[in-house]
Amino acid sequence: MSYFKRRHLFSKIITYIVLLIFLIPVLWLIYTSMKPNIEINTRPPVWFSKNMNFDSYLALLGFPVKHEGFGFGENVPFGDYFRNSILAALGSTFFALIIGTLAAYSFSSFKFKGRNGIFLTLMLARAIPGIALSLPLLVLFTKMKIADTVPGLIIAYTAMNVPFTAWLMSGFIGEIPKELSEAAMIDGCSKWESFVKVEIPLVGPGLAASGIFAFLAAWNEFAIASVITRTTAAKTFPVGLFDFTAEFVSDWRGMCAMSVMMLIPAIIFVITVQKQLVKGLTLGAIKG
Amino acid sequence: MHSQNIVLDKGAGDNKFFSESKTRLPFVLLLPSLVVMFFVVGYPMLYSFVISFTNYTLVSSGGPKFVGFKNYITLFKDPVFGRALLRTVFYMLIAVNAEFILGLLIANAMSHVIRGQGILRTIIMMPMMFAPVLVGFQFKWIFNDQVGLVNNILYEIFGHPVIIPWLIKKPLGFITILIAEIWMNTPFMVIIFLAGIMAIPTEILEASDVDGATEWQKFIHITVPSLMPFIYIAMAVRSLDIAKAYDLVSIMTGGGPAHRTELIWTYVYRLAFTSQKFALGSAMSYITVLLAVLFTYYLFRQLIRVRKVRE
Amino acid sequence: MKKAKLVFVLMLSALMVLGAFTLLYAGGEKEKSAGEKKAPEQIVLKCAFIGGANYEELYKSIPEFEKKTGYKVEIVFKGDGFQIDKKLKTDFAAGTVDYDVCWDHSSFFTQYIKAKGIIPLEDYFTQEELSDHIPMILNAGKKNGHLWIIPRHFDISCLHYRTDIFNNEEYKKKFKQVTGKDLEVPKTWDEFKETALGLQKILPPGMYATQFAGKEEALTGRFYEILIAEGGQFFDKNWKPAFNGPAGVKAATMLRDLYQAGAMPPGMTNFVWEDVAKNWVAGNIAMYTEWYGWYSYFQDPKSSKVAGKFDIARQPMGDAGIHSGWAGDHAFSITAASKHKKEAAELIKFLTNYDNQYREAKLGFLVTRQSVWKKIIEEAKQSGNPLDVKRLKLAQLQASEDFKTPPLVAEWLPSSDIVYPILQAIILGDKEPKAGLDEAARKVEAMMREAGYYK
Repeated sequence: MSYFKRRHLFSKIITYIVLLIFLIPVLWLIYTSMKPNIEINTRPPVWFSKNMNFDSYLALLGFPVKHEGFGFGENVPFGDYFRNSILAALGSTFFALIIGTLAAYSFSSFKFKGRNGIFLTLMLARAIPGIALSLPLLVLFTKMKIADTVPGLIIAYTAMNVPFTAWLMSGFIGEIPKELSEAAMIDGCSKWESFVKVEIPLVGPGLAASGIFAFLAAWNEFAIASVITRTTAAKTFPVGLFDFTAEFVSDWRGMCAMSVMMLIPAIIFVITVQKQLVKGLTLGAIKG
Repeated sequence: MHSQNIVLDKGAGDNKFFSESKTRLPFVLLLPSLVVMFFVVGYPMLYSFVISFTNYTLVSSGGPKFVGFKNYITLFKDPVFGRALLRTVFYMLIAVNAEFILGLLIANAMSHVIRGQGILRTIIMMPMMFAPVLVGFQFKWIFNDQVGLVNNILYEIFGHPVIIPWLIKKPLGFITILIAEIWMNTPFMVIIFLAGIMAIPTEILEASDVDGATEWQKFIHITVPSLMPFIYIAMAVRSLDIAKAYDLVSIMTGGGPAHRTELIWTYVYRLAFTSQKFALGSAMSYITVLLAVLFTYYLFRQLIRVRKVRE
Repeated sequence: MKKAKLVFVLMLSALMVLGAFTLLYAGGEKEKSAGEKKAPEQIVLKCAFIGGANYEELYKSIPEFEKKTGYKVEIVFKGDGFQIDKKLKTDFAAGTVDYDVCWDHSSFFTQYIKAKGIIPLEDYFTQEELSDHIPMILNAGKKNGHLWIIPRHFDISCLHYRTDIFNNEEYKKKFKQVTGKDLEVPKTWDEFKETALGLQKILPPGMYATQFAGKEEALTGRFYEILIAEGGQFFDKNWKPAFNGPAGVKAATMLRDLYQAGAMPPGMTNFVWEDVAKNWVAGNIAMYTEWYGWYSYFQDPKSSKVAGKFDIARQPMGDAGIHSGWAGDHAFSITAASKHKKEAAELIKFLTNYDNQYREAKLGFLVTRQSVWKKIIEEAKQSGNPLDVKRLKLAQLQASEDFKTPPLVAEWLPSSDIVYPILQAIILGDKEPKAGLDEAARKVEAMMREAGYYK
């Protein structure tokens, strides 16, 4: 590691400056969520507010706060959005990982007719944006009675995430030394057992990496959700953000507060699995 | 690639179905993916394909009528569509390349910082956690001409109101949405390249140290070449995603003013939903998706080629 | 083989879990409705209503209705106006309507007529029940000789201006020096333009004489109301676009001249409603036309720097002697798919009765019953703020004389979508007013022809 121990002062400085630039909008978002609205939309700017408070958060969580007058999105059903978002994101991540891994296993472990064709078709599905799918999906889902439900979202997001998962995972499964699973089989393990005992643990980092991407994609998806969800039974955070700029409502602070709340689960999730992420991406890129 | 060497079902099957699974198993494994993909992507695409040959509108009463290629002809005559398509290509090219270069440089710089890598990585990933909708709202506000952050900073610097209409002026509007896009997605590149750099065996770098190579030489001759697969994969994924750009632009400028920042999907959305011309919107989706598919196909060919060279 | 079987089983179970999850959810809902069916005589009225802010206060009175009639009312959808519009359009197109009563709007309902989504209401309401609503508003809900929507409350825009500028001696003196005229609140659009251009020369940097919302329907609508005031028409009798005549050119030229002279914020073409309101409360604008609906927000010193520093006036008049008055009303409709149309009408009657309209009026809405108006104007006199009374009286005057909705035709929004980018191009100086409007008219005509209005 002596290479890395050398001083790279320049690199360090660059890194910190860049990080700061990337952080400014985040910090500004947090700061704005605590300022009164009158200090947010103003010129000259109020850089250092003396009236900071957590009212916008309290209002979101349903605690009583002093009424600020007409024009504020105090009645935003934060709890419903949170439940819908977390169920849709976790549910679709779970299914995408299972289904995608099975597909990846097929791609990386077998050679069969049409393999590249199917692989490519799956990837191409990623090129189709949600808007192009949204209205036909609404018609279909309505017929199946899953429009405006969380399961409907889960199905849509699962499909959205399967291709990328399959792709990343195929890199991982391909990386597993064949000798290992063969050795396991010689030891008397069935093919299935070797899959479970040898291969699954080795693909952990891959699952983590794919999991992060799937979770974030579903958590932040807007185009499909904006069409197939309509009520608090299924509306997610990105759709709910628009509650703050409806007719005669302009609550920028409230919107920032909800944005911050929306980031928290994503951050927790990313921190939890990020160590595996780098490893996961390494393998996913080289193989697959 | 690892494929042909797995021997399945060494013992002859007692069950007819599974004795043939040598050929079937891979398809069986693929079945769930294919089913769910058909359900959510295939069916809607077929549906809008059929619709694109009709005069279906969101408010028409009675069933849609078949109109042949009329919608496609209308499209090719529409100068806004052509320009939006070109603009989307430009947008994609500039954004992907800027994100690539920035991502590479930042990843390289970050790789030299040993302590606190985990924290740094989490921080750099923050923009990735933002919903595109949210980035749109944030940057629309940051670049607001009256009370936005940027103009307010300029106000403090110059001591008098500096009103730059970031989202309006040519070419500022386009640059502004690019900045938001680059801010949001460079971290994806950084993370992937960082993973790639970490995978370079340190012996190679140490050997080059002995040879007296400069930092720049090492970067060009060792880091970049070993990153090639990562670069392709990251560029491929980003190109696909940017070709779909909608959320961010729709909120920041809505494609306006006067179509100045119109991208393909903001235009399709307005045609299909606001103007209620769902059939025309479908035709437009089809053309665009077709182009995206060709592009993807090309990218994947490249990717496979690079991998073969590596192996 | 066992192992292969296991893989197969794993795959199947994944699918099954996914399926089961779906069924469970759908099943759960069915169970719910099955539970309701136990009482067969129970009539359930489902509604898609506007949600948010103070709109929902009205729905709190619904239990009273349920108690009185024995029906059950379920609000199955709540969203803002544009969300409901999108939902109604997609539902009518996809045949997925599962509600009896829907929110409606004077600018939107013609689309729903075209989609055969709503029904005429005159058979469900007596003349007497309707006569209390302001006639001009009620008429805005008629089309093809039928009444389609029952109004709930309306809005119309009026001129907002800063008293600390218009009544300020310093400004008055400077304005006189620069223009040779007295600084007065404009009564016509010509005066409006002149005043704005003059004011801009004396306002401190960073302040603007005026502004308009600058995109989407907001822009087309503003253009439309000036067009009408100047004696123009958007469509002629045969539904041919007529907005490119002299009146339209004059209106578009005014917008462009104001923008090019710097009398409007340069970001104007990206503003929608909340942005113009934001600029106003930030104190950056001297005068502009705005909806009454924001009043309490503007008067709240916690969110507005102009609280107590502004006054309102009737919308300016154009060459045709007509006051601008882009207006619209929130209303209720009954869906064609409803199985309980009579009961649905009862619910609408309840929601728009005197008590409920009074309740909504107290929240700041401009309601449509004349009897309620009398009462609230009396009450406002007690409040001590003369602007409160002035606002109500002005709103009532405008509602009975200036109330003009956009053309009642399903193609209004598609037309707007064609016209507004071209208006933006005119404002930004990319296109000449006449040439631009001619181009827009050509495109609108082609669209109308395609929609079957003429051969």
